[in-house]
Amino acid sequence: MADQRDADHIRLDYTKSETMKPEIKSEGGNGMLCQEFDGLLSDALDGVLTGVRLDRFRAHARVCSGCGPMFAEVEAGRSWLKEVAEVEPPASLLRNVLASTTGVESQLAWRTTAAAQTGFGWWERAQAALQPIVEAVWGTVRQPRFAMSFGMAFFSLSVALSMLGVKASDLRQVSLRPAAIRHTYYNTQARVVRYYDNIKLVYEVQAAVRELKRNVAPVEPRPEQSAPEKKDHKNDTTQQPEQKQERNYSQTEDRVVLAGAPLGATESELPVAQVKADRRIA
Amino acid sequence: MEDVQVVAMLVRRCVAGDAAAWEEIVRTYQRRIYNICYRFAGTSDDAEDLAQEVFIKMYRTLESYDSSKGAFVTWVTTITRNLLVDHFRKTKNDRITDSLDAGASAHEDAQPLGEQIQDQTALPDQHVRSREVGETVHLALGKLSPELREAVILRDLQDMDYREIANVLRVPEGTVKSRINRGRAELARLLQRTYRQVM
Repeated sequence: MADQRDADHIRLDYTKSETMKPEIKSEGGNGMLCQEFDGLLSDALDGVLTGVRLDRFRAHARVCSGCGPMFAEVEAGRSWLKEVAEVEPPASLLRNVLASTTGVESQLAWRTTAAAQTGFGWWERAQAALQPIVEAVWGTVRQPRFAMSFGMAFFSLSVALSMLGVKASDLRQVSLRPAAIRHTYYNTQARVVRYYDNIKLVYEVQAAVRELKRNVAPVEPRPEQSAPEKKDHKNDTTQQPEQKQERNYSQTEDRVVLAGAPLGATESELPVAQVKADRRIA
Repeated sequence: MEDVQVVAMLVRRCVAGDAAAWEEIVRTYQRRIYNICYRFAGTSDDAEDLAQEVFIKMYRTLESYDSSKGAFVTWVTTITRNLLVDHFRKTKNDRITDSLDAGASAHEDAQPLGEQIQDQTALPDQHVRSREVGETVHLALGKLSPELREAVILRDLQDMDYREIANVLRVPEGTVKSRINRGRAELARLLQRTYRQVM
């Protein structure tokens, strides 16, 4: 048996050469060399060799002592390999890979593994195409700054619309035809112009009335321009009492001054003191 | 196999920082990457570690993927293959190079190949038998040289075409075909030898 094994190794020394070419080269009597047989071996096993070439290949395998057994061995090896079934990867592989790469847990738990096994359907393709856009938009919308800006814009728009007299119930009746939009535009413009003109008229009337009042009323003496300057109390460091300003003393010359006295029953019983101030005339 | 536009969109979303897109990529390709790692490394523990390393490398270099240069699955497989080759070189001294019957593989069962084949004949359940045969072939696959093993795995277990494999391995298509056939033949001889010993 060992001799037989050694003989096989001598006959087909595969490990030292990149080709299946046996050391014994023969024509086999059918016009095909062993080297050509070697080149056609894969095609014959894959079933793509047909016609005359297949007949010559088979004929060479029958008569060649090197190529015939070699073909049988290759065919047997391929049959053995068909017995090997695929193995399932462990469940921990996905978890470990995700943990060591992205560092996040599975995000596609809701998707069944059948989708991955059967390939990509139209729904998967649509999701794959739209997901980057949706994620980008959703990422922007989720920011508080965007929410605040959107809220302020909505509020401003609603206030502006209410000031312009636009009601939501009216929007349903608005026609979006170009002629209707033009009509609405001119109407709005006319309303704005009328409003401006009315405001202008009111202001003009108010100004005329104010001017008329000013002309009818007597001229009041203007306060003297040379008013005594106010004393700066803050900078007064003399510690002297402040001199009171005497007001309208000239008018009190003939005035009756009621001093503090016990009140009588009637006004005639009140004690009256005549006070006359001496006026020094320079 | 994969919709180029959908995958390109997923990659763009992932590069932009979309964690959900990255999770979808991992879910879609974890089975493929884990199987390649498992068939190449031989054990489920090593396969899980290697698959995790592959995804980490993918995540870091996802920006470098250019859809005009090839399919995403080819790019993923290339990363996986390169990392497996690096791992193979690093652990070269640690591997045991005993024969199949010595039970050198660190597989869960860690049972000699001959004993497994003996046991499988006694099992009445066809499903269990098929699984046992698969495990036997898996053990034999681990005995192939790395360049033959990777070619066989990509062709017969991952159903990649020759051009894609040539892009992943960076060798001509003719070399790919030759390696695949050599790997198949070597595998058959290993299994036949085991059968002869059993019988």
